[in-house]
Amino acid sequence: MIMRVTQSLNQSQFLTALNQIESRLSQTQNQITTNLNFTTAAQNPVAAGLVNNYNQTLTQSTQYDTNGNSAHTNLAIEDSALSQVQTQLQSLRDLALQANNGSLSPDARSAIAAQVVQIQSGILAAANTQNGSGEYIFAGNATLSSPFVATASGAAYTGDQGQREVQIAAGQSVATGDNGDSVFNRIKTGNGTFAATAGISNGGTGIFGATSVTDPAGYDGGTYAINFTAPNSYEVRDSNNLLISSGTFSSGQSIGFRGIQLTLNGQPASGDSFSVAPSANQSVFATVQNLVSALQNALGTPAAQALLNNSIGYAINNIDQALNQISNVRSAVGGRLNSITAEQSLSGSQQIQLQQSISNLQSLDYAKAITTLTEQNTTLSASMQAYALTKGLTLFKYL
Amino acid sequence: VPDIFEISVTALRAFQTALSVTSNNIANANTPGYARERIDLTAAPPQADGAASVGSGVVVTAISRAYSQATVDQLNSSQGALGQLNSLQNYTNQIDNLFGTTVGGVSTALQGFYNAWSDVANNPTSTASRQALLGKAQSLSASFQNTSAQLNALNADVNARIGADVTQINTIATSIAKLNQQIVVAKGQDGGFPPNELLDQRDTLVSNLSQLVGVTTSTDSNGALNVFVGNGQPLVLQAVTTALTTVPNSFNSAQLEVSSAALNGNVISGSLNSGDLGGLLAARGHAIDPAINQLGQIATALSGAVNAQQNAGLNLNGQLGGNLYSIAAPAAVASSKNTGTAAATVNVIDTGALTSSDYLLSFKAGAYALTRVGDGANVPLTGSGSAANPFVAVGLSIVLTGASANGDQILIRPTAGAAATFKTVLVDPSQLAAAGAVQSTTAGTNTGSATIGVASVLDATNPNLLVPTSIQFTSPTTYSINGAGSFAYAAGSNISLNGWQVQISGVPATGDSFSVKTNAGSAGDNRNALLFSNQRSLGVLAGGTVSIGGAVGALLTGAGSLAQQVNTAQTAQAAINSQAQQNFQSVSGVNLDEEAASLLQWQNAYQASAKALQIGSTLFQTLLTAVHG
Repeated sequence: MIMRVTQSLNQSQFLTALNQIESRLSQTQNQITTNLNFTTAAQNPVAAGLVNNYNQTLTQSTQYDTNGNSAHTNLAIEDSALSQVQTQLQSLRDLALQANNGSLSPDARSAIAAQVVQIQSGILAAANTQNGSGEYIFAGNATLSSPFVATASGAAYTGDQGQREVQIAAGQSVATGDNGDSVFNRIKTGNGTFAATAGISNGGTGIFGATSVTDPAGYDGGTYAINFTAPNSYEVRDSNNLLISSGTFSSGQSIGFRGIQLTLNGQPASGDSFSVAPSANQSVFATVQNLVSALQNALGTPAAQALLNNSIGYAINNIDQALNQISNVRSAVGGRLNSITAEQSLSGSQQIQLQQSISNLQSLDYAKAITTLTEQNTTLSASMQAYALTKGLTLFKYL
Repeated sequence: VPDIFEISVTALRAFQTALSVTSNNIANANTPGYARERIDLTAAPPQADGAASVGSGVVVTAISRAYSQATVDQLNSSQGALGQLNSLQNYTNQIDNLFGTTVGGVSTALQGFYNAWSDVANNPTSTASRQALLGKAQSLSASFQNTSAQLNALNADVNARIGADVTQINTIATSIAKLNQQIVVAKGQDGGFPPNELLDQRDTLVSNLSQLVGVTTSTDSNGALNVFVGNGQPLVLQAVTTALTTVPNSFNSAQLEVSSAALNGNVISGSLNSGDLGGLLAARGHAIDPAINQLGQIATALSGAVNAQQNAGLNLNGQLGGNLYSIAAPAAVASSKNTGTAAATVNVIDTGALTSSDYLLSFKAGAYALTRVGDGANVPLTGSGSAANPFVAVGLSIVLTGASANGDQILIRPTAGAAATFKTVLVDPSQLAAAGAVQSTTAGTNTGSATIGVASVLDATNPNLLVPTSIQFTSPTTYSINGAGSFAYAAGSNISLNGWQVQISGVPATGDSFSVKTNAGSAGDNRNALLFSNQRSLGVLAGGTVSIGGAVGALLTGAGSLAQQVNTAQTAQAAINSQAQQNFQSVSGVNLDEEAASLLQWQNAYQASAKALQIGSTLFQTLLTAVHG
């Protein structure tokens, strides 16, 4: 059957078609002007959801970079403060070695003492370093007040044991600093395992040489006394005064027991006592303060000189421990700086990848869009022409 | 014997009428609803004249409409479906545009909020970064409020249009009833001749009506048309109109439902699924309300997670953080038809179990049952509904007061009002809880190698959370807490007390001690801020499987898919409707070329009849001349 076509239907169908073509044309035009494949989710729901997810990951990744930069700043400040401390400790060690010389005049010694006091305040200043926001970087989390306050015995720590971290990648955090307690306070005395000290009232000139742990399993962490019953014989007793070992002594001889060994030079007197105790924590400030006190003691007897030498020797041990500690912290800081840099370069390429994916989904394929636009344009003008041609066709014209 | 004059006169009159019919067709070529008319001619019967019989001319038996009921029904039903999709599309597209690619800015604001927590973590004591965070927190809650306000505005628009549609439907129904009356009368008077113009008018009205609400019709033998809506609810019966009415939803007086004057307030909204009105109801039920609920579900989960984290940390003043956000408790509305006095208080207790659905709590045969609105699925309830033992289901606790009567219903909308009431209640940047609540400390005098880890908060509601505690090792393998008890030490295992948890590892020495205490004073702590910035990737919805950002993305994709689906359906229906229109026009439309040909045909016939009359006259003259001659 032939479909009857009426003029009014023709008219309305032409208008509907025109509307459709023009609406598609305007959508293509909109795509070209915004350079976007879609501006709402309805045009491509799946891609819109993906782009939303990618954008979330991208902003998060950018934030990780910001976090890394902030951590980097703080760690750089910490590293420079620690490098100052290192320099000061090195000078301190040199001064201690100078002071250990028995032929030093009292004036020279007190000059050294003055320099040591100077260094003490220098280290204190470094330990109270503030970052750009005015936070004390060695205060743990109590960053609003200065963590180290000078006292008669060195310095008191008022910070806490917290360590701030920031996230620099999904599942990866990095510490932005170290608390002052772990950096400056928790430094082991002596050789790190035990500390040997001479009795204050010793009358002889026995001075400690090298100490060592010969058998780590042998030392039980106990406190022992080496008592000289005669200038050439000693006995070792534990904290319960039980005899552990005894022997004869001559200068430069090593005394060994319970897996540890220490060398004693000079000539102890009968009744002199030396003690061995497990290494305890001592702050770098206490170490310096002890050195200052030792340097300020009056000399005059060989015994006093021996006491000074022992104190300086002990101080040098402790300074070495502190240097070791600072150097360990600095390597940790360096490691953190490295991991930030590594993570940032990784996130940089991840961001490029994400931007690429977003662009693939969302950015317009211009060539395709222009082709579509041309096609739609052609369709529009063709249908207009067709309308113009057919609308004049009526039988009435020929009547 | 009919003479040539009589025959020619009937022909002239008939062809004149035919020319009028054609002219009338031409005149109405563009009149909507006009069905082209045709003249029906019959040869007049012969009058007895001996053996031979000649007809007595031509008679106009009827002027009938070119009309097919099937085609009209098809067009009306396709117009109903298209009307429904057009009005639904209007709303799905508005939601799509409102959401854009960021759910009205929610997605962007969410990123900003969590990034700001990272900035605070980088600089916990900086008031500037805290102030910036507070600003981001406010934009986030504002983005939820704005988006929800715009969705609610769409609902208000739906309400207004339901009212307007119902008024228009009633006006049309009344007109149809009046036309029924006139058509019945006209048919009676004209001895069965169809009153074409009245029928055209009525068809036009039914067509208009079908665009507003899907209708079914039946024609009575007297010519009256009966019109039904929904599941056969009569709108017009003969000359009587049963008007549609709007009634407030029995649970939500701000929401209009459709009823009928004959139904005593019973709602027929559910059965109206065609025409503009059907589209409005579908938009509300399937596009707008679900979007509001889903947005509310996200807001509830976000508010819950953020507040819980705030409560677990310390602010700059060393106190446990207060809530950052507030959100209204779920709405529980007793039906206005309830005869009992029961009222429900509903609270969200588990945002992971919460859904975006609404639920109906009904009391029947002495027992309460909870069903999901939409599919009517039964949801198991635990508890008894008392304050001490509330009903618990889908992350909600429900406490009932008062007594229910049989058949009473309470509608629970867990998330519908959440996004609209999502507010930032914290105003002082120092109140943001960036610091962890407790800190662990190793005593400086310890000689063992044991270290204590970072203390984390398990239960921020424990009243003793911030009470200082010391852990002392009475031997390398045992410890006491605050000087009391003796507990076996296992390196690296959890020690939990007062809502916190900490691990000690390594080898402790006798006399070593550790402590856990409030973190007050450690303003530089950022542990809680870190937990905040981690929250963005944490699953908190749908049983802990979907993050807040993920839920926002799903909402976006969902709304986009719905809009796309409706767009596709609308395009398809428009094509179907165009076909139906074409079929209708093919039967009933006026083709001007056809009419031009008809004009010529009737003109020729008229001229021929006139000629016959002239010949008759000449014959008569001849006869007269012969007689006179």
